[in-house]
Amino acid sequence: MSFIGDVLSEALQLLVQFGAELRAVIWLTLVVSLLATAIGVIVGVPLGTALGLGRFRGRTPLLVAVNTGMGVPPVLAGLLILLLLWSDGPLGSWGILFTPQAMVIAQSLLAIPIAAGVTAGAVGGLSPVAREQLSALGLGKATTGWVAIREAWPGVAAAVAAAFGRVVSEVGAVLVVGGNIEGETRVLTTAIVQEARQAQFGAALALGIVLMVMALLINGALTWLQLRERES
Amino acid sequence: MPSSGSRHGDVPAFLALDLRFPEDGSIVSVDRLSIEPGGRLVIFGPNGAGKTTLLRLLAGVLPGLPPMDTAYLPQHSHMFRGSAGWNLSLGLDAEQTVWARTLADRFGLNPDVYLDPARALSGGERQRLSLARTLARPEPWVLLDEPLAALDVADRMSVAGALVDSLSGKGAIIVTHDREEAAVLGERLAVMVGGTILQEGPVAEVFSLPVDDRVARAVGVANVLDGVADGIEGPLCSIRVGPLHVWGLGDLGGGAAARVLFGAEAVTLFAGHDASAGSARNRWPGTVTVLRETGRLFEVIVDAGPPIAALITPGSREALDLKPGAPVVLTVKATAVSVIPR
Repeated sequence: MSFIGDVLSEALQLLVQFGAELRAVIWLTLVVSLLATAIGVIVGVPLGTALGLGRFRGRTPLLVAVNTGMGVPPVLAGLLILLLLWSDGPLGSWGILFTPQAMVIAQSLLAIPIAAGVTAGAVGGLSPVAREQLSALGLGKATTGWVAIREAWPGVAAAVAAAFGRVVSEVGAVLVVGGNIEGETRVLTTAIVQEARQAQFGAALALGIVLMVMALLINGALTWLQLRERES
Repeated sequence: MPSSGSRHGDVPAFLALDLRFPEDGSIVSVDRLSIEPGGRLVIFGPNGAGKTTLLRLLAGVLPGLPPMDTAYLPQHSHMFRGSAGWNLSLGLDAEQTVWARTLADRFGLNPDVYLDPARALSGGERQRLSLARTLARPEPWVLLDEPLAALDVADRMSVAGALVDSLSGKGAIIVTHDREEAAVLGERLAVMVGGTILQEGPVAEVFSLPVDDRVARAVGVANVLDGVADGIEGPLCSIRVGPLHVWGLGDLGGGAAARVLFGAEAVTLFAGHDASAGSARNRWPGTVTVLRETGRLFEVIVDAGPPIAALITPGSREALDLKPGAPVVLTVKATAVSVIPR
């Protein structure tokens, strides 16, 4: 059998076995990615809504910061959190370096600008008629933001999907602040790096397939919500 | 720079605005805009006159004026993602929402639509909903931009009547470019052309006595007469205006207060007092009091009990040998006369 065929067959075998180690990695990946996405959405979507609706002091520099943040290399974000959480660093006393908590913090730093930037684009793209009506309703700031998010929902759903995609697929930040410790901080992406380095291609491919299926399921759900709302 | 003058509550009794908007270069320059609390002022003028810009300034949608206590109905009503009922309640508390439903009912919105997605509503339904929502707000002033434009012609007058009734003591500034709407919605009328207000006064006065050519071109010369309904015959009803019975299109009866509206161009003049030509239902003798040139035409004011304005060509003027003091007979086809509730 060919090399690729061998790798594929080994990968499928591992998936069928679905061992405890694989389950732990999948579980940690889900917890870390979903928590980081949730923090990214909770902070980023309101921030992006404010940026999209516009007209306040400091909007332009904030928009530049968000757009820059969307392109920050994950490994650099990881390095910043590493410096903060290092034993001699300003937050060293927290003692959470090389734990899942540190990984969530680092990935949130990546998710927030994506969620904010894509939301700002969606809300900023509301029609002038919708925006004028919104300001004519005399709503408070929070309600105005909520109505704007509902109105720009397909775009905001894309922001959520983009934030999740960013965190679930990145390897640099979680590797730097998590350390890829087996059974403690190993997630799908860092495990793939580990297995590939050791020429365990079947295991690496099995993890990759799991990652793809996970992304497919979550994005499928978001797309379904996006389309359902669009039709209403 | 904009400034506001003496104020009644939160609303200025007059405004002085002089603003230039770099985005579109349009200018609104209003020296004085008098608004009585509880009164209805119609801003009337052609498209592009600056009416909507003025309303947006007053509403605070465009920056420039101190914030005022107003409820604003934009020209194009937008429905947000969600049910019609939810859209109706936006910005309102529970009590105001109940009131908004009552108002929507008066405007002819079928309550069955409240569970439907708001985007499935027709243009007329959206406008009725937006109007009800705006009028249910607690602010003492409402700013309405073309409130009837999205409605079918057949429904406009009934909604207009309900609108006026529903203001219940609130002051209103209403923008329109429709003469009939202006006549039914307004107490006073301000004619806006090129960003400035050229004439302001009671509706009937501005329509029948424009101060200059520019106003005459903007409003057209029109007759607006107030009277009382005193008979119905098929699609027509008769309104008693002083000594005249004016027949027009409408279904008012039983002593209802009414306003009749017809353009000066709809009036035909015959020399002398015994003319019998034509089939017009409205036929009134009178005496020419004023004759003046307005651009290429002549405006004639005839005392027929109330003063009636007519527009004639220079050729007609010569043929009829019109001059002040001359006896004439006026005729107006009943189908050219609109009758609206007052």
